[in-house]
Amino acid sequence: MFELTPEEYSAMMLSLKVSTWSVIIILVPGIFTGWLLARRNFIGKSILDGILHLPLVLPPVVTGYLLLLLLGRQGFIGHWLYETFDITLAFSWRGAVIATALMSFPLMVRSIRLSISAIEIKMEQAARSLGANAFNTFFTITLPLAAPGIITGCILAFARSLGEFGATITFVGNIEGETRTLPLAIYTYIQIPDGTESAQRLLVISVILAFSALLFSGLIERRAAHWIGSK
Amino acid sequence: MLSLDMQFQRGNFNLEANFALDNPVTGLFGASGSGKSTLLSLIAGLTNPNKGWLKLSDKILFHSAKKINIAPDKRNIGVVFQDNQLFPHLPVNKNLLYGYKRIKKKQRRFGMQEIVDLLEIEHLLKKRPYQLSGGEKQRISLGRTLLASPRFLLLDEPLAALDQSLKEQILSFLKRVKDELEIPMIYISHSMDEILHLTDQLVVINNGHIIGTGHFMDVLGENGTQDFTSMMGLENIFRATIISNDLASGLTIANLFGNRIFLPLSKKYVIGKQSYISVRSSEIAIAKQHIEHISIQNQIKGKIFHFIPNDTGITVYIDIGGPLIVNITRKAFVDLELRENDEVHCLIKVQSFSCFGKILDR
Repeated sequence: MFELTPEEYSAMMLSLKVSTWSVIIILVPGIFTGWLLARRNFIGKSILDGILHLPLVLPPVVTGYLLLLLLGRQGFIGHWLYETFDITLAFSWRGAVIATALMSFPLMVRSIRLSISAIEIKMEQAARSLGANAFNTFFTITLPLAAPGIITGCILAFARSLGEFGATITFVGNIEGETRTLPLAIYTYIQIPDGTESAQRLLVISVILAFSALLFSGLIERRAAHWIGSK
Repeated sequence: MLSLDMQFQRGNFNLEANFALDNPVTGLFGASGSGKSTLLSLIAGLTNPNKGWLKLSDKILFHSAKKINIAPDKRNIGVVFQDNQLFPHLPVNKNLLYGYKRIKKKQRRFGMQEIVDLLEIEHLLKKRPYQLSGGEKQRISLGRTLLASPRFLLLDEPLAALDQSLKEQILSFLKRVKDELEIPMIYISHSMDEILHLTDQLVVINNGHIIGTGHFMDVLGENGTQDFTSMMGLENIFRATIISNDLASGLTIANLFGNRIFLPLSKKYVIGKQSYISVRSSEIAIAKQHIEHISIQNQIKGKIFHFIPNDTGITVYIDIGGPLIVNITRKAFVDLELRENDEVHCLIKVQSFSCFGKILDR
């Protein structure tokens, strides 16, 4: 029963590719935003916080549609990207990366922000008074101590990306081999009369992937906690 | 050496400080929440004052009008925090070297081995912070700060989180640092006893305001500090000369203004030397005559020279060769029919005396 057809296999690999890329592109902005929200006070902080969390509360279809309006070839930014760099995001796997990245960004930021908030400011002040400048302090103290939270954020974002459906299908469609990720493939197989077996196989794959991500995250977190010396 | 005039405001809290220090060690003394730590933070550059200036030797570290604000990492001011703030992700030796490797070779004043020997931490180098006890952590923290070769040291209640035996151990290391490394320092504490182990020069802060600087006997005796000293339980601080330790009866015998007094037996006393002792004004009872058959060992004869009613009772000033401040209730005052020039006996339990160790040889 567990031979994947080429279509199913490509859906799985595409999902992994899209999720991995989306985590990669939001990692640095996620750390920066998490730090900004944890450590800085500035005008418009709550507005930034609100905007960041929008994808969590908006219907994913709405987010996808907004992306289409902005990044589609006729869209404000999409048109410029196409004219200037010959890049098309809509209906391509890169667009799927953008959609999943946007949807999982708040989860990542939330986790990183919490872990940075948990670091005592005095710890950073100690580093400063020992001669480390702000940058140096960030990379030698803040970042290593926030590592468990950053890893958790990555896994959460990865898992969220694997499951992303609404924004993806709205923004980049459901093109086999290009944008048909696992959830989209399952949805498609359910729609066709003899797709039940395929859908079920992909269901099992989805459960395994999600569960592995959770196990992996637990393992890494324990390792990281040991490494930073709290256990 | 260190001089400053700074103002800082946050919310309802106002801090104004203006003093110049020239002692090897200065105790910054005040109650919790008086602004001690904020002042330290301002000196270290971890918090910015609203306005003012700060100078270390001849170098301006902060000057609001001249728009000078040297970053904390460029100030060369070492800070030891109450809760050590060791970096949990680094082993002890890397914690120690964190500041050391960030300064130029020419500016390094101490070598790793020198500090390791001074603080006796050789056996801890390979450990991780979570494997250390509180006292060990504080020694590493001190060592880490020293290895950054600070030109000035700020110690923010470094003993507050430790129990009594560890306090004394760390204090002896601090004395070594003071005597051997010659780094001027400010020692922050709300414990007079701790401060007096290191110095008798004080800056006293209360509610964000400096209420005195100088020798602690002078500062705490100044007019205008009564509220503060009574809050801290330091209304009566004396120099007493230690006569002998009586091991059999568990007492130390001392001379206070010509009166023979009994103190709790302590190793801190040195026979023939003077020691600071204190007793809270509310811990003293007054009797009109000598009382027989009573467990209280100290009955000091004196004469009332002044009294002031206060919110809770009457503050009575008694001349026992020097002034002794006693707080009694209004009822007691009326019942005893006390008047100025009355001869009285001041009853003080042995355990009511606190001792501050021997006077520093200066």
